[in-house]
Amino acid sequence: MTDTGMADVSRGAPARTGLTAQLGGLYAIWLREVKRAVRDRGQFVGGVSRPLLWVLILGIGLNPYFRGEIYGEVRFVIPYTYLQFIFPAVIALNIMYTSVQSAVSTIWDREFGFLREILVSPMPRFTILLGKILGGTTVALFHGSLVLALARFADISLSAGDIVRGLGLMFLLAFGLTSLGVVIANRIRSFEGFGVFSNAVILPLYFTSSSIFPLDPSLTAAQTKVIYPEWLVIMVQWNPFTYAVDALRGAFIHFNQFDPKLGPIVLAVMAVAFFLIAWRDFQRV
Amino acid sequence: MISIAVPMVKIGGVTKRYGRTVALDGVSFEVRPNELFALLGPNGAGKTTLLHILCTILKPDSGTATINGVDVITRPLQARQNIGVVFQEPSLDDRLTVYENLNFHGLVYGVPTALRRRRIDELLQLVELADWRDKLVRTLSSGMKRRLEIARALVHEARVLFLDEPTVGLDAQSRARLWQHVRALRQTRELTVIVTTHYIEEMEGCDRVCIIDKGKILADDAPAALKSTHGQQLVRIVATDEAAFAEMMSAYPELAVRKDTEIVFKSSGDAFAESLLARFAGRIRKFSVEEPSLESVFLSLTGRDLRDQAAGARERTYQFGKRGGEHTK
Repeated sequence: MTDTGMADVSRGAPARTGLTAQLGGLYAIWLREVKRAVRDRGQFVGGVSRPLLWVLILGIGLNPYFRGEIYGEVRFVIPYTYLQFIFPAVIALNIMYTSVQSAVSTIWDREFGFLREILVSPMPRFTILLGKILGGTTVALFHGSLVLALARFADISLSAGDIVRGLGLMFLLAFGLTSLGVVIANRIRSFEGFGVFSNAVILPLYFTSSSIFPLDPSLTAAQTKVIYPEWLVIMVQWNPFTYAVDALRGAFIHFNQFDPKLGPIVLAVMAVAFFLIAWRDFQRV
Repeated sequence: MISIAVPMVKIGGVTKRYGRTVALDGVSFEVRPNELFALLGPNGAGKTTLLHILCTILKPDSGTATINGVDVITRPLQARQNIGVVFQEPSLDDRLTVYENLNFHGLVYGVPTALRRRRIDELLQLVELADWRDKLVRTLSSGMKRRLEIARALVHEARVLFLDEPTVGLDAQSRARLWQHVRALRQTRELTVIVTTHYIEEMEGCDRVCIIDKGKILADDAPAALKSTHGQQLVRIVATDEAAFAEMMSAYPELAVRKDTEIVFKSSGDAFAESLLARFAGRIRKFSVEEPSLESVFLSLTGRDLRDQAAGARERTYQFGKRGGEHTK
């Protein structure tokens, strides 16, 4: 009797328990990430100017050269304009930048002590991490969707089904990348270091993801290696973001360089794998 | 039935080592409900380590700790419902507003919506920040931020409030005001407060003071009782020249402590002071007698002057910032 009596006394003030409390905490952490991002003008400017540069300037500028007789002989013609071709890749780029940048808030929390406030709360680490990553994912998804507003300029008509499918894939990409950002942020202690490192990770991954040039799918493996240097082909094929970009192309312009099933699988595996690594790291904080 | 005197906080034989340094060495004490309990000690004494163990963010090597009957070592998530913490370093999100910081806290601690709103408004009134409700935290002064942190720690009706060096870095006026608010809060609710500080004058208003040095508890009693048992009259002397200084130091080697240009003698009473005056008359530039204070209690227990450490705290906070927020080394 005394034991249960003690437990009752220790319950304290009427607080939410179980799932309601978990969801409330998750919502609070998510909301904080979103609010911070909304108040950060710089991030928004970057999110808007990046697609404008890539689609309107690079895309329109290179558009006439895409389907021509490059190197004299045309073996393979993609039935899309360059603008259409890079449009899904620009969505991926915008998501990449925003996701990885949103992980900066992890460093910020540690640097300015807010992490302690979260760590002494009754929220389990899993919920805290999930809330943070979902917050970053939401912001990245929003920045990715900003690019969709430029679809008209790229001469892409989107059906509702395309958009739903595309948003699903974008969510997976954003979730995986935000987790990756948190993993990187846990290993890097300063803001400056993070900026340098994230650029050193994002841009190479982007450029080698077949985002701005296609690998000719009509060629055999041997032929591809004759046209492109072997190291480049290997980098493109081993880069998981190649399949992410390919999945987005499948959704938005119905063009796939690789097996259409491969993209969503790679995206899902990345999302789960990076989240698990981030979780493992976060338990040690 | 359980007796009335169940301690709110109970620590038994807590030991913590960092490598070869012993931060806490078998610390035991109890804090009664509604007590204002102070931990006093120089930097590195183990106060913050002890607080971090009670706040469940650090695990001791051995020993037990319970808060309101909940074991903080084995059931940290449940124990956290009972505690509110104000860390030595600020832990607010300064890109959110005052209200948003409080609301975040309430949500994370599972306080139902209506109750949360009511408590936030009530607490903002109490710490006089109601007018700042929708301002971004970065626009607040450091004293206001501290008050906000205290209010935040109570949004979930914490039973025990931990304040780790709450007045460091505040000017005298803000410090007084902060204590005024802590007193006001204790009048409106049942609240046990555990505070660490090295501002000795702030200890006078506490119910009980626990003096800790090098990871060990040296004394644990009400301020008045401490003064009567361990207190010591102190005689402070500034000598006219070096020779006189050296002579005075060697006259009572076991009683004299050098402090900058001053010699502090542990006096045994007025007779001692008079004999000192008589012996060194004419070679004393400044002479003062201090009645027993908590400071002299500290000196007689540790052989050190607490004030020597005062500069260190700011430095440590600065170091903390440079290290990137990782806590105690």
